[in-house]
Amino acid sequence: MSEGFSRRSFLKLAATAGAAALPGCEPAARKLIPYVVPDENVIPGVPQFYATSCTECGAGCGTVARIREGRVIKLEGNPANPIGQGTICARGHAALQGVYNPDRLRNPMQRTSSGALKTIPWEEANKLLNDALKAASAKGKNRVAFLGQAHQGPTLRKITEAWLAAYQSNRGIFYEAITDTPARDAAEMCFGRRDLPVYHLDKAEVLISFGADFNETWRSPVELGRQYGEFRAPKTRQGKLSVGYSYYVSPRFNVTAARCDEWVSVPPGAEAAIALSVLHVVLSQGWVSPNAQINVADLKNFVSSYDPASVSQRTGVPVKMIEAMGERFGKADGAVALAAGDDPATHAAAYVLNAVTGNLGRTMEFLEGAPPEPESSSNDMVSSLESMRNGAVDVLFVAETNPVFSMPAKWQAAEAIKKVPLVVWAGGVPDETAAHAHLLLPLHHQLEDWRDTFPRAGVHGLGQPVMQPVFFSRPLGDLLIASARESGVKGAAPWENTQDAVRSGWEKLNPKAAKTDAKGFWVSSLREGGYFEPATAAQVTLNVSALKTSPATREIPKLALAAYPHPFLYDGRGADKPWLQEIPEPVTQLVWDTWAEIHPETARKHGISKDEIIEIRSSEGAIRAPAFLSERVHKGIVSVPIGQGHSEFGRYAKGRGANPWEVLKAGRLCVAVTIHPTRERRELVSALYEGKELGRPIVEAMTATQLADGVQPKEWQEPEAPEPYEMYPAWNYPKHHWGMTIDANACTGCSACVAACYAENNVPFVGREGVNNGRIMSWIRLERFFPQKEYEHQPLMFLTPMLCQQCNHAPCEPVCPVFASYHTAEGLNGQAYNRCIGTRFCENNCPYKVRRFNFWKPEWPEPLNYQLNPDVTVRGAGVMEKCTFCVQRIRYAEITALVEKRPVHDGEIIPACAQTCPTNAISFGDMNDKRSKMMLRRVAKENKGRTYKSLKSLNTLPAITYLRELYNEREKA
Amino acid sequence: MAAAEPVSGPTYADIDRSVRRIMEPPGRAYWVWVAFCFTLVAIAVGCWVNQIYSGLGVTGLKNPTMWAIYITNFVFWIEMAHSGTLISALLYLFRTRWRTAVYRAAEAMTGFAVATAAIFPLIHLGRPWNFYWLLPYPNERSLQPDFRSPLVWDTFAVSTYLTISILFLIMGLIPDVANARDAAKGWRKTFYSLASLGWSGTDEQWQHWSMAYLLMAGLATPLIISVMSVVSWDFAMNQVPGWHETIFGPYFAAGAIFSGAAMVLTLLIVLRKTMNLDDLLTEWHFDNLAKLLLLSSLALTYCYICEIFMTWYTKDPFDTVSMHMRFFGPQAWMWWFCVAINCILPLGLFWRRFRRSIPVLFVLSILVNVSMWYERLMLITGSLSTSFNPAQWGFYHPSFTEIMITIGSFAWFFGLFSLFARYMPVISMTELKEGIRWLREALRDNYYPGLK
Repeated sequence: MSEGFSRRSFLKLAATAGAAALPGCEPAARKLIPYVVPDENVIPGVPQFYATSCTECGAGCGTVARIREGRVIKLEGNPANPIGQGTICARGHAALQGVYNPDRLRNPMQRTSSGALKTIPWEEANKLLNDALKAASAKGKNRVAFLGQAHQGPTLRKITEAWLAAYQSNRGIFYEAITDTPARDAAEMCFGRRDLPVYHLDKAEVLISFGADFNETWRSPVELGRQYGEFRAPKTRQGKLSVGYSYYVSPRFNVTAARCDEWVSVPPGAEAAIALSVLHVVLSQGWVSPNAQINVADLKNFVSSYDPASVSQRTGVPVKMIEAMGERFGKADGAVALAAGDDPATHAAAYVLNAVTGNLGRTMEFLEGAPPEPESSSNDMVSSLESMRNGAVDVLFVAETNPVFSMPAKWQAAEAIKKVPLVVWAGGVPDETAAHAHLLLPLHHQLEDWRDTFPRAGVHGLGQPVMQPVFFSRPLGDLLIASARESGVKGAAPWENTQDAVRSGWEKLNPKAAKTDAKGFWVSSLREGGYFEPATAAQVTLNVSALKTSPATREIPKLALAAYPHPFLYDGRGADKPWLQEIPEPVTQLVWDTWAEIHPETARKHGISKDEIIEIRSSEGAIRAPAFLSERVHKGIVSVPIGQGHSEFGRYAKGRGANPWEVLKAGRLCVAVTIHPTRERRELVSALYEGKELGRPIVEAMTATQLADGVQPKEWQEPEAPEPYEMYPAWNYPKHHWGMTIDANACTGCSACVAACYAENNVPFVGREGVNNGRIMSWIRLERFFPQKEYEHQPLMFLTPMLCQQCNHAPCEPVCPVFASYHTAEGLNGQAYNRCIGTRFCENNCPYKVRRFNFWKPEWPEPLNYQLNPDVTVRGAGVMEKCTFCVQRIRYAEITALVEKRPVHDGEIIPACAQTCPTNAISFGDMNDKRSKMMLRRVAKENKGRTYKSLKSLNTLPAITYLRELYNEREKA
Repeated sequence: MAAAEPVSGPTYADIDRSVRRIMEPPGRAYWVWVAFCFTLVAIAVGCWVNQIYSGLGVTGLKNPTMWAIYITNFVFWIEMAHSGTLISALLYLFRTRWRTAVYRAAEAMTGFAVATAAIFPLIHLGRPWNFYWLLPYPNERSLQPDFRSPLVWDTFAVSTYLTISILFLIMGLIPDVANARDAAKGWRKTFYSLASLGWSGTDEQWQHWSMAYLLMAGLATPLIISVMSVVSWDFAMNQVPGWHETIFGPYFAAGAIFSGAAMVLTLLIVLRKTMNLDDLLTEWHFDNLAKLLLLSSLALTYCYICEIFMTWYTKDPFDTVSMHMRFFGPQAWMWWFCVAINCILPLGLFWRRFRRSIPVLFVLSILVNVSMWYERLMLITGSLSTSFNPAQWGFYHPSFTEIMITIGSFAWFFGLFSLFARYMPVISMTELKEGIRWLREALRDNYYPGLK
């Protein structure tokens, strides 16, 4: 999207601002109240919108919650928030299943001496806690410890620290399993500052990612995904229509790699060597920006031992490849190198690469006033655990984090926690840490609670409660404030409650506004979901002298475990949400399990067959997972997603897969391992059958050169067919004819559309067995194919959202004997659920296979059913269902327009999938309106020759027009 | 068979005696068999009730194989019926001689097969309690079925066929039931009196009856073609590769006659053995049925070849892959099994020795029935498994419920037929008497060369 404020964004904002009533301002009632006495601000059937902030990860996207009759039913991006800009990711959507999770702790509970849990009233729980705290602080300093998540937000951090101070302790541990510490260490070395830079991928034309999964979980995936979409969009660069050239350097092929031009497969831990070698090429070829003002001679010394030839020898990456990367990067008008992983050398090399080519301040910049480092240092954590082990801690308060699950095995967190006389656990779904707690306190979910976020300079997100709490939970902040007051220390927590604390901090953000109209500033911040101001770039220079000594890159182990955060389950915190379990990981397409991805050759060497459970042993421990054979991993690794392997954490997570944290070393995601076949097997479950397209025009692609030259790709050309004979007269769409334009090139595989569809359309989840039986219900899926051998030049992976094509000649319609499947006057392939008798004829005849049949009565264990969208029928057993372009949204807009006596505006209707797409790959509009944004996209100059219809030869005349994927021709390595 | 070699052929009285003997009160073994059949039916009904209650999740159906065993059973039984109609109606019109002894059994088979088949579309529905929405009935919402849908054509075709074949069966039975009435006692007498609709055997009645029978035969014969075509359109009207073929009408008709002839053979061989009907059902009859089997096998083989040829000739990429998967995919054994049983084994019937060997025919007829069932399963699920979008392929495996319901349908069919065989004249006395000369000739040619 352009810099300007689009109509779409405006409408969203208008809707947001329209909401005045703020639920949750009052002291929270402790349960959902049935809708007997209606609030005068609530009109049944009319949704309300509240802006709030997403805290599922630390990226800090803003959300807008849609409330119907007092319940939040859908989350969407907040267009005012500069990070998400109106979009959120799959994990953001699944926050709904966090608030309505049936396994959430409902009442405070105490562990009796027998180990069983007993429900106790809040008063008793508070008393228990506060008495223990008072006794502990009376015994001396630092007898109380707090263990919480790092991305708490500034206010909660302030409250936590005040609470700790009240009980004379400085043992605040703010823990995050996956940290940016190596990046900060590298930044300190290179630039003398520990903050994280922000990136502008859209300003680059060459990108090299050294293991940074910017399309999945790295840093700020929504924002980076959007930027990457811009980067890959065809634009005129250096006088020629082209798309950005991107490399992904990693032993593992993931969806980030899949959306790049080249996947440079390297041995585990060799990313740093490659990065330094690329730097070597850039320096030796003299592609150093004159503006960079860098002492090249010193730098050359820094990378002297990383000439391409010797690095190639060590890593097996061809010299030509390294040189090409260097050349592209050095010559580019805007380039960006990203780094991830546990090796600071990789980060340093990427920083230096950006700096020497003059991209510091352009594609990568540091901002003034960056938030402080949120995590405690690992030394602090280890020493705190040590003091617990020694009995120096009397009360441990664990909140919203799960150290027992995700701390490295060596730290023996569980052993340490067991030594503490009173462990208080506070959170949502009781997890592995809760199993060791003596007192369990249910906390408000982020959607029930006041929060603020400070993800980066200039972005202050505000989180307000959007509904009354579902259970008898309390906000963490309120709990700590009340507890701090109990300490008897004067002025311990000078706030009434969390809201007060947030608000008092808020006024300091913009003192000028706060002075003139404090209330107005507060209310406008609430409406917009935060306070956003431009941040000034920091003047930084590369400190070459600090780099003088050559960095030591790591030894390459013979076989390594490359663990990575699962795109949806992340470090394990998403595993309790069935949507996140059921949405297939885009590359492997596997669900509901942990898999060990391994190269077939390595597997053969170890005598491992498909689906055989293998034991992966490191110096720290061992885990077991079924083997998934794939040529898309380096031969020297076994690649395992993090996220599963919970022994607690609710019905959806418990007893599923394996937990790689058990074999990893502190601060590392890569460890030397040995693998052993066990002769046991467990079938890995996937919703997908064949990964090859068989030359069928389902997802198409073309090269950037073909686009620029206006040449059609050969492999998709179809023989000229005569105009087919039509038996029936063509449909007539007098008013609207809804259609979509989907840019297959912009799809990053983030799967936010899938999650949004689950939320909007009451699509049931079916669980592992259901998926295995071929009964996954999602109406939209990411269709992924790998190129066949004969088309090796094609993109690394084809990927596009596949949903009902709303054909004009829909094969599903005439075969339905009862008109349940019918053609609407606006071109949709309607489905009358009440009329359906379940012959399933329509799905047989659908070439895209996008219809879904309810084999069972769908179930949402209470209170997951509270999330159901009242605008959409819940389908029963025996009924076929399908995508209808969110017909409920279409009707809502049409009726509104009718009432207001005006036509429906372009952009007024946005289906859930299109709404949430970070790269705007999906656009919706009226095909009768040739000037609609959606139609203009089909005829845009830069998209000339890109349009295609999926399986066109069947003459189904889909209403969805795809834009071909674009890729750069790879050099023959 | 009589103990001493008869000097003259069977008389009218001999025929009456033989057929009436079948209708004597059955023994214990019979009742055990019937009870066994209906126990299986009860289990199947239980499975169906459970399926209605819990949803089609209890089946092995999945995306993309949304149709499988239930539709297979539907097609299997409806096709079986066709062969019965062919023997009873078409061969009647052609005045085929060997038909007289076998046609009643074939006609009964038709009736029960259609009755079995007609249940399956209901079993297969996701919401079977709304089945009547398939019928055009007046309602205040003016909702009618979509006449473009082959399933609606199917509804009409099958219900027409069920009506005609039941009427035809009942019509043909009248003189024979009256015959049975004359010899029966007790409740049977009442029952047969009612069932014979006042038949007294006057010339006028015979005249009307013969004309009516002729007309019914004339009405029933085109149904063989039309119903079979309509059933095949359930598939051919789709665009699924492997289904969307113009050959499907004749293809299904050939298959229908083939599997139906095999089923008639199975039933008659059992009947002959258990009821000692060697005098009425001679090797001559079986020889002719075997010829029909051979002919239809050749026709079916031709259809197979045509289908393969057309795929090769059109070079349709989707069809080619689908065909390839049929031959070499994970469920290719079904195809090769069908080729072996349907195309290769029946070639043995070119030898008169095999045509006249009752054990050979019995084994072959059972094998043919099994493989024809698999052929339908292969056509239905195999094509769905490998359609346009390779990402959405998937192979079908049946569930316990589906298997039990399938077994139940066979039990239902055999149970009904067993009841019919002992309580109704399963061999037409009327027509045997009409063609007594041909029967005598057959006996002379096959058993008693001295016969006059």
